[in-house]
Amino acid sequence: MNNSTMLITGLGVISAAGNDLSETLRSFEQGRRNAGPVTLFPTILKSPVFEVRQLPAEYYLEGWRTLSLALVAVDQALKDARLADLSGFRVGVCMGTTVASQLNALQFYKAYRENGAAPMTSVDRFLKGNLAEYIARRINARGPQLSVVNACSSGTDAVGIALSWLKSGLCDIAIAGGSDELNHVPYCGFNSLGIANQGLCAPFDRDRKGLNLGEGAGAMVLETREAARKRGTSSGLFLAGYGSSSDAYHLTAPSPEGVGLRAALHAAMAEAGLEPGSIGFVNAHGTGTHDNDLVEGRVLADIFGPDLTMLSTKGFTGHTLGAAGGIEAVFTAAGLREGWIPASAGFENKDEAIPMSPVREKTAITKGFALSTSLAFGGTNAAIVIGREADA
Amino acid sequence: MKISGIGVICSQGLGVAAFEQALKSGWQKPGETEAHWLGGVKTPAYLVKFDALPDKTLLKKIRRADALSKMSVLAASDALVNSGMENIASKRLGIIVATAFGPHVTTFNFLDDILDHGDAAVSPTIFSNSVHNAAASYIAMALNIKGPTLTITQFRFSFQSALQLAQAWLDQGRCDYVLAGAVDQYGDVLGYVSDHKLTTAKDGKIKPFTFNPTCQVPGEGAAFFLLSNKSEGNVYCSVSAVHTDDDPREGKSADINIIDADGMLPDESAYLASLSNDIPTAAYSPLFGSMMIGSAFNAAAGALMLKQQTRYATPVQDNPRGIRMLTESGGGSLGSIRCTGYNCYAERTVIYLTKA
Repeated sequence: MNNSTMLITGLGVISAAGNDLSETLRSFEQGRRNAGPVTLFPTILKSPVFEVRQLPAEYYLEGWRTLSLALVAVDQALKDARLADLSGFRVGVCMGTTVASQLNALQFYKAYRENGAAPMTSVDRFLKGNLAEYIARRINARGPQLSVVNACSSGTDAVGIALSWLKSGLCDIAIAGGSDELNHVPYCGFNSLGIANQGLCAPFDRDRKGLNLGEGAGAMVLETREAARKRGTSSGLFLAGYGSSSDAYHLTAPSPEGVGLRAALHAAMAEAGLEPGSIGFVNAHGTGTHDNDLVEGRVLADIFGPDLTMLSTKGFTGHTLGAAGGIEAVFTAAGLREGWIPASAGFENKDEAIPMSPVREKTAITKGFALSTSLAFGGTNAAIVIGREADA
Repeated sequence: MKISGIGVICSQGLGVAAFEQALKSGWQKPGETEAHWLGGVKTPAYLVKFDALPDKTLLKKIRRADALSKMSVLAASDALVNSGMENIASKRLGIIVATAFGPHVTTFNFLDDILDHGDAAVSPTIFSNSVHNAAASYIAMALNIKGPTLTITQFRFSFQSALQLAQAWLDQGRCDYVLAGAVDQYGDVLGYVSDHKLTTAKDGKIKPFTFNPTCQVPGEGAAFFLLSNKSEGNVYCSVSAVHTDDDPREGKSADINIIDADGMLPDESAYLASLSNDIPTAAYSPLFGSMMIGSAFNAAAGALMLKQQTRYATPVQDNPRGIRMLTESGGGSLGSIRCTGYNCYAERTVIYLTKA
């Protein structure tokens, strides 16, 4: 079985940059950054965020914003894959998240603390709202299910796990990605860490001052070439490799040498059977925090050279945590499919400590492979390689 | 794949020896914990007693970690030690941590911070420990493991899903060894939710063979397994198949059937369909408590039985349905054990363990 047998046949995405891929690409072309103050919950904190302003009404689920966002992306991906009927296929669902894994219901907890009792509405939502389980039931997928909670690398890991499932024959088709809503609890948490930017984020910029949180979902339909052939479809994109590795260094800071990221990149490239020169561009994690961008920029420059074409799309979406890897996988695939990537929003001044810079303008992509990277709390690192078939 | 080392921590203590002793000793009354929702009245629970651990060296190394992470690190470390393999952490070793509820106690501590001090004055330390992959990260840091490190959180068969993925990682050469395990923690809020939605056994006795009505006693703990495709280390058995949806081997014989019944479902009658008079059935939840990841402890019991070629009797033998139950401990020839679980949608999962 060669690596190109795991096709990417469907893409779906929703974020502050747009409610679908077409809208997102328009935002990219226009350099539109839809950030603003928090409107989803009351807070005294001022760090701007990238909210999805108009969640499609038909997807609104009270108290389940992460699931709503996920369903938008999954439905788009299924439609893009022309996959209306899943019967006859073993379909796996592997989704990354952070918020949907936690019972961080403030009002429930406040009532419980005060009264020793509280309505079970939030608890019931939590118990029925596990991301992968919920999606699998909703679309009637009969196959493996995993909700990946690897913090900010969850979405990338979810896509990589789907690749493992397909290769091992656990399913014929996999829906993979990530989803997270903007939530009060992590918003307070990231502000407490002192890494939330009070202005707009500027990934890899010399004067970067931290991240902006965002929300959204990204989903891909992956399938074996055989499954695609059976249902009479094809695709010019494929998932070629996945690597994951731990820094074993610190709970919140990346290893200064980027030990884990290096290993993850090498593993993903090795699985894809590629040398660094084959990579057309890297969609970097690029949060806009000092440490992340420094470590990531140095590692990427070291492996791919200082002239690597790279960007961070978080200037358009904010940091969407568990969704980021899924959203950025879709953006990476779209970059290959469309043959261009946008300017890396927020970047203006080169940081001399980082021996490379992201692209400043819309850039044509001619090579057939691209990487998407994620670095996470806890020192987990993940990378995926996406390919475009030569004749596509 | 083979199980080459096991690490367990639960109310019975730390280590395979303590777990084996519990299997031999049979049911013992659980401890008690104060329940906020009952105005401080005590309720039964199988809780880990960190103070009773004889060696606190590792605990000191992770003193800032929460209880969930501590249980994870202790059990994961114990699995490596139990394997008897030297420098295993420096080899191509991955980590998969499965949990149903994750660090919920720390999450609620963080909510305390928000409620008590406001959005701008919360603790970054509590926040970073409330992130779901903190336990896996502590394992990686404490044991210096640099392979793929993954946390999965779900209510549907999280441990079995971790095993499935471990097998895929090993087969695809992503690592040579995987430290896969499951962990969940008890907390006051979870206790309230469980008590509200289920029936708590006031006498502390889970009766897995009553099926309906059921009663639960909350538990907590972690069980980790060192897995590889090689026959190395302290081999317990092979994990010959894991199914989380259908079971193509349904009807295939096994020497013992272990069921995950533990009162976490109001009606556990679905298990009846998986039982037969040909195969004696055991359930060990009364030893470690009711947990959505309890199947990891049952798998540990199964692996131990295959390694020791010893049967361990079902600890609580109330049997109103006349099921063919494993009622007596003793030696014997064991070739295979089937571990069966059901969820609230009556979906079934099966782990097949076979003598190595």
